[in-house]
Amino acid sequence: MEYFQFLIIIIFSPLVNGVIKKLKANMQGRVGAGVFQPYYDLLRLFKKGMVVSRVTSWIFSAAPYVVFTSAAAAALLVPVLTTQSGFTMMGDVIALIAVFALGRFFMALAGLDAGTAFGGEGSSREMTVAILVEPMMMLALFTAAITAGSTNIARIVDAQHALSSPSHLLAFAALMVAITAETGRVPVDNPDTHLELTMIHEGMILEYSGRCLALMEWAHYIKQMVLFTLAIDIFLPMGIAQASGAGALALAGGIYAAKILGLCMVMAVVESTRAKVRFFQLPSILGGAFVLAFLSLVTHIMMGK
Amino acid sequence: MKNWLEAYSIIDFISVGLLLTAVTLNAFKSIESYVKAYTINSWLLASLITAVAVLMNEPHLYVAALLTAATKGVLIPLILRKIIRQMRITHIIQPAISNALSLAVSSLLVAVVYASLKTGITVTGFSRNVLQIAIAVILISLFIMITRKKALVMVLGLLFMENGLFLAGFSLTFGMPTIIELGVLFDVLMGVIILGIFAVQIRRTFASADLDKLTVLKG
Repeated sequence: MEYFQFLIIIIFSPLVNGVIKKLKANMQGRVGAGVFQPYYDLLRLFKKGMVVSRVTSWIFSAAPYVVFTSAAAAALLVPVLTTQSGFTMMGDVIALIAVFALGRFFMALAGLDAGTAFGGEGSSREMTVAILVEPMMMLALFTAAITAGSTNIARIVDAQHALSSPSHLLAFAALMVAITAETGRVPVDNPDTHLELTMIHEGMILEYSGRCLALMEWAHYIKQMVLFTLAIDIFLPMGIAQASGAGALALAGGIYAAKILGLCMVMAVVESTRAKVRFFQLPSILGGAFVLAFLSLVTHIMMGK
Repeated sequence: MKNWLEAYSIIDFISVGLLLTAVTLNAFKSIESYVKAYTINSWLLASLITAVAVLMNEPHLYVAALLTAATKGVLIPLILRKIIRQMRITHIIQPAISNALSLAVSSLLVAVVYASLKTGITVTGFSRNVLQIAIAVILISLFIMITRKKALVMVLGLLFMENGLFLAGFSLTFGMPTIIELGVLFDVLMGVIILGIFAVQIRRTFASADLDKLTVLKG
């Protein structure tokens, strides 16, 4: 049972995106599509045929599989319901960030491969954001790792208490900014638009259609849910099961669902109340979050907790 | 209440909040945000004093907290807003260096303060972390004063520095006698009024409160 907790992320990740979209629509006074709409979209895309440009190389057709596999591998690494699982021994924060980087690298290559202007633009922007986000995410996670004395996510979860020290609060704030940037949400990227001036993620996958597009989108949903789960695991771990009995797992599942719903609400509120910033303003927002992460690490070292 | 304060390490949270309000100054673009940050900083300072008063059973600290909240949290922000309205300036601050660089420098300042005060100084007060944070606040506000051009930002930097000094003194001595605190607060209040009038006068005379233009006065 506990070996299959990663399936929860893979199966429910489109639902999480649907819930965020629904909450956003309700906040903006619209009815919005149902929460299962992402599933219907994925199903429809899987049934459709593909159009592949003649000028593309093998990278273009390989990228969706690499991206999806890396997202699924990342889902294997994070503990969802319980920390007692065979897979958690390889769940390392640095490995997790590296697996994400692999997917990102191939996605950016695929964006460049078709040779369109939008793809190149999207790839270039994605890489610029990545330079700013990755070190910030690492610093924020290291703050938690130092407390636990291990970079293993399950060990960090076991050692964590819920935001009991100021350094962890700072690190949590920095990680939330990192998550909005990584999942392409509003202050950094707008997930709902295909306007060429603003798109980052959409720019890279613009050339894809059919099955490959479905894989790319699904990988994106999985990545989003893995990051949410990571934030919950590390900074709000109360309620995660330390054992692997059926009752404990069911309780942990309920608490996990409530926490994910809470994060979805936060994302929906941020997306509805904030405007997307200009791309050249991003370094000052992400730089500010980097300073938060840095301060969290320094404060942690100073205060010893 | 006492156990609750200790269990959740409220003092650490408040002092890091004080540091954060100082660090965020580097990212702000308008002078109104500076005043807001100062107000939050002062309220945090007052709540820190209250928390220590509860923890240490020192009733005279309640008076100090009340005075801090009344003058720095209410009166000085009101005066500052009035001055801003009077000056009718464009409220954009033109920093001499970019926001990102300025943030980086101030975070380095914090790291340097933490590293240099880690050993060699023994503090017997309620928390040695508070002294380090106080000194970091002082240095950051000094840095803000160096790199910003508007005259009113100098006043705000000075006020932040005074908050930092107050915090440093407080963390070492558990609060000075109330009469001295009263005197200091009165001084700060007068200082703000005088500096405010001065800034308005600079603006009237030179049609700008940009301190870089003072260099033309050189012979």
